[in-house]
Amino acid sequence: MKRFEQFIFNILGSKRKQWTVILLTLLALAGSVMMLPTKIVLAKMLPGKSANTFSIYVNAPTQASIEETRKISECVVSLLQKEPEVTDIEVYLGQGAPLDYAGLVKGSAFKNSENVAEIVVNLTDKHEREEPSFMMVHRLRPTIKANCEAIKEGTVIQMVEQPAGPPTLAAVVAEIYGDNYASTYALSQKVAEIFKKTEGLADVDVMADDPYKKYELIPNADKIARSGLSVEQVNKILYLAFEGMVVAHKNSRNYPDQIGLFVRLSDTTRRLHDQSIASLQSKLASLKLMNQKGMLVPMNEVVTIKEVDASPTLMQKDLRRMINVTAETDLVSQVYPLLDAREKIMTELADQYEITTTDYLFNLRLKDKKSGEVFDLKWDGEMKVTLDTFRDLGAAFIAALILIFLLLVVYYKNFTISGIVLAGSFLSIIGVIIGHWVADLVTEHTFFLTATSLIGFIALMGISSRNSLLLVDFAKSLMEEKGFDKQHAIAIASATRAKPIMLTAIAIILGSALLASDPIFGGLGVALISGTVAAVIVSLIFIPVLMYRSKAMDFDKNREQNA
Amino acid sequence: MQESTRYQPKDVAGKLALGFLHNPLTMLLGIFLLVIGYISLEIMPREEDPQIAVAGGTIIVPMPGATPREVENIIVNPLERKIREIKGVEHVYGIAMNNVGVVNVMYFIGEDREKANLNLYDKVMQNMDMLPKGTMKPIVKPFDVDIDIPIMAITFYKKEGAKISDPELFKIVREIQQDLNRIENVSKTEIKGGRKEQYNIQIDLGKLSGYHLSLGQIVQAIQALAVDVPDVKGRTQDGKLVIFGVKNAIESVRDVESLIVAQYQGSPIYLKNIASVTAGSDIQNFKSVAISERHQNGFEALKPAVTLTLGKLAGANAVTIANEVKERMEAYKPQLEKAGVGFTITRDYGKRANDAVNELVDHILITIVIISVMLIFFLGWKESLIVTFTVPAILAITLFIAYLSGQTINRITLFAFLLSLGLLVDAAIIVIENIHRHLHSHDAVDKDMDTIMVEATDEIGAPTNIATLAIILTMVPMAFVGGMMGQFMKPIPANVPVALVASLVVAYIFTPYLGRRLLKKPHMHHHQHHWQKDGTKAQGGAE
Repeated sequence: MKRFEQFIFNILGSKRKQWTVILLTLLALAGSVMMLPTKIVLAKMLPGKSANTFSIYVNAPTQASIEETRKISECVVSLLQKEPEVTDIEVYLGQGAPLDYAGLVKGSAFKNSENVAEIVVNLTDKHEREEPSFMMVHRLRPTIKANCEAIKEGTVIQMVEQPAGPPTLAAVVAEIYGDNYASTYALSQKVAEIFKKTEGLADVDVMADDPYKKYELIPNADKIARSGLSVEQVNKILYLAFEGMVVAHKNSRNYPDQIGLFVRLSDTTRRLHDQSIASLQSKLASLKLMNQKGMLVPMNEVVTIKEVDASPTLMQKDLRRMINVTAETDLVSQVYPLLDAREKIMTELADQYEITTTDYLFNLRLKDKKSGEVFDLKWDGEMKVTLDTFRDLGAAFIAALILIFLLLVVYYKNFTISGIVLAGSFLSIIGVIIGHWVADLVTEHTFFLTATSLIGFIALMGISSRNSLLLVDFAKSLMEEKGFDKQHAIAIASATRAKPIMLTAIAIILGSALLASDPIFGGLGVALISGTVAAVIVSLIFIPVLMYRSKAMDFDKNREQNA
Repeated sequence: MQESTRYQPKDVAGKLALGFLHNPLTMLLGIFLLVIGYISLEIMPREEDPQIAVAGGTIIVPMPGATPREVENIIVNPLERKIREIKGVEHVYGIAMNNVGVVNVMYFIGEDREKANLNLYDKVMQNMDMLPKGTMKPIVKPFDVDIDIPIMAITFYKKEGAKISDPELFKIVREIQQDLNRIENVSKTEIKGGRKEQYNIQIDLGKLSGYHLSLGQIVQAIQALAVDVPDVKGRTQDGKLVIFGVKNAIESVRDVESLIVAQYQGSPIYLKNIASVTAGSDIQNFKSVAISERHQNGFEALKPAVTLTLGKLAGANAVTIANEVKERMEAYKPQLEKAGVGFTITRDYGKRANDAVNELVDHILITIVIISVMLIFFLGWKESLIVTFTVPAILAITLFIAYLSGQTINRITLFAFLLSLGLLVDAAIIVIENIHRHLHSHDAVDKDMDTIMVEATDEIGAPTNIATLAIILTMVPMAFVGGMMGQFMKPIPANVPVALVASLVVAYIFTPYLGRRLLKKPHMHHHQHHWQKDGTKAQGGAE
């Protein structure tokens, strides 16, 4: 302690040493803050969470049959069965799996068609497993996609992990607004292509019906009327023949539901030979309708078959037509791939569209050079939540700074001393950023600066202001009550307060040590640990220098004058 | 008492210390705190993710035969415009599909859910007259995260070689569903992959033409047979009731098979002549569930399955529900075994919530041990013991207040506790360190223990209060973070300040109290604070 006291005393004694301390501190601050824009330390909202389960969504093209979807799902299952850590796999064909937080926003509950399936994969307990689930997903993703997406062209297989925080539609969502469906769809395909080429993005999907052909049966009203039939009858019989209908019910004493009587053509006679118009024509020829006179009329006599484009489902958001292009991130933060993709959109689509930036959040406005049509590209999903959260936390941080400052002003009735204490607490950011950099160096996967790191940093503000507060208070009382001169008082205060400061710091470091290993709260743990280290150094060396240099701390002279 | 009043405390810290220093209730208070903390930990509902108040809903308007474009124009657009009239709606999503229009409404996060749902329903009902002809009644479904997200899923499957049919499996699961739904706080239960029993009449198109029949005729014939009518009350002449009723003609598949659908050249045509009639499951249902499980030697192939899911009411304890469900399922085992049905619990949020809570308790214990070991080195074992006691006391107060304010123990509440763990020993450390310093200072000889305790506590009171207040202030703005993330983080600004205030109070009350009983003045009469001696003496002057 004596040695430390001497050390501080020496620094305070020499102007050059004081400046060295101030300069070093400023250098450290500048250096650490620079780690953010230079991408040495990467930011992300929340890191991956190792869970005991993950899901796989199979999205076959819109016109795919349940048999085709089943084939794709079976392919995925066969690959999963090779994994030693998988305990069981459930396949939900044609529907969503039991709802979870991810599914809640990804529309899992609304899935009800032949081209979708959800696969739930349960793993062994995360404490007994070496590989975290997000690493496993990362490893399996290319294999599954390479093997199973090829079964049916246009299939998108998505690996869905349990969200660490609030769930979002996807990591990156580009909402493409446009009034004309066809041209908006074309643009969204282009954006999807760019996403696919962007490193770090995976599972790119355009959330729109894939264009497909269908046959339209146009009832010939004239012929129908003359044959003594009705259009309704035609519709009903067609539906009955190929889809089938429950035409009557039977109540049952020993069965919990009613038993339906379902009528449909038999499988052998129902199925068409192929997808051609001719085979539909011939099938309809053998399907007959009975008119009022009891005569049978073949179906193909009263309808004309035409091949048309199926009309796709139309999506709107806030009263504007929109198509979502979604992508997940593969282990990386969504911020950087998104900026990459945005850059690429601006350069690659520049020859077809006039691209301008709009209001918020890197949004773009694209104007078709030929047709003059205007499209809006807005970013949503985790990116928006991230930016909103960081913005709000930033605001919370500034509000915290102001509140602390006001509190200190009320306590000390002095702006300079309050400023010194505040400066000391702000400087813990050096430790926070450097801590993340070190954590990133020593861990296998990227260690992100996350929302929890920010929360840790905000909490640190209070902790390090406590250090400075105790220091200022003690030095003040030494000068006022014990009559020490300023240089001595500050040096003694630093040395005496070093012990409780160190003790509380060690308590925080030890208390957070277990946090640092947690995938989600790791950021908080690292922020607290490294930030505390920085705060201790700052409050024991830098703050005394500031205190010594400020006139507001001249309590000794005040006393002499008063005396 | 006279002695201790010699020093007049200036700060609330010293006053608290003085007030409780000789109070016999202090010990009781300590024990009481620990007990209510423990009770809170045990009875507080546990869940994995915090409840996010998401208000919103879905409006589904079916319109058979309409194309997406028509649906967009006559259903989705007018509906969306009406929804925009509601205050607090953040986004409106419209989906126009073939035959149906869907509008999803998302309120701003934090809007009152009950009110929002009511407004939404109101708006739709008020504008029923604007619905175009040919639409069916709109369905309004509000979101309910608590009910919609099941906390448990049990997947049932047929064991190898079992002769049970799909509808029979479904029937068994239905019965279990009914039973599990009786458990307290279980809300929505659902079955996925269930196959309903159904008589399938599959008509051969060739034979149909052969007999010169149409599909419509056959449907009419079937419908004519399957009639349920209520019993008829006949009366006798003297006013007594005679009840008789027409029996549903369909009792089994055979009744359907032998249905006469038409006459052909004088002889009857039975349904079985032109169609295969089977008692089976709903073949038109394309949805299915399958499970593949690991056994000793690798995975079994995918086998058809039925999944039963259970939701819970808001604020209910996922752990107790899960335990109850597991208990009941255990009781079902022999019965299911006999039927050839196996089951696997494929989702168990109760276990996950419990694991998370237990992990926190472990973390806290380990951390307390580490910190107390550290303090033994720096301060001495008695001082360390005092600080160690304060941690559970502080957590107990925080837990109890969290319980009173209706919170649940979840991942984020734990996060808040973990965050405060490093902070809440500080006040006690600062107090005990100052007591320690005062006990070893030069003028300790002249003062009695009570004065030292109170003075030491009082001395650091003001800066510690201000510093703690500063930390609390940093947490307050976090309560105003918006969006889902803000909701998600709510437990942090709600609990950390409570823990910090508790840490102050506990430090001021119990640290001097315990210090008075455990600590003694060192046997050294001329120790002086080191800055009042020259360097060499200070180095050698240690006890």
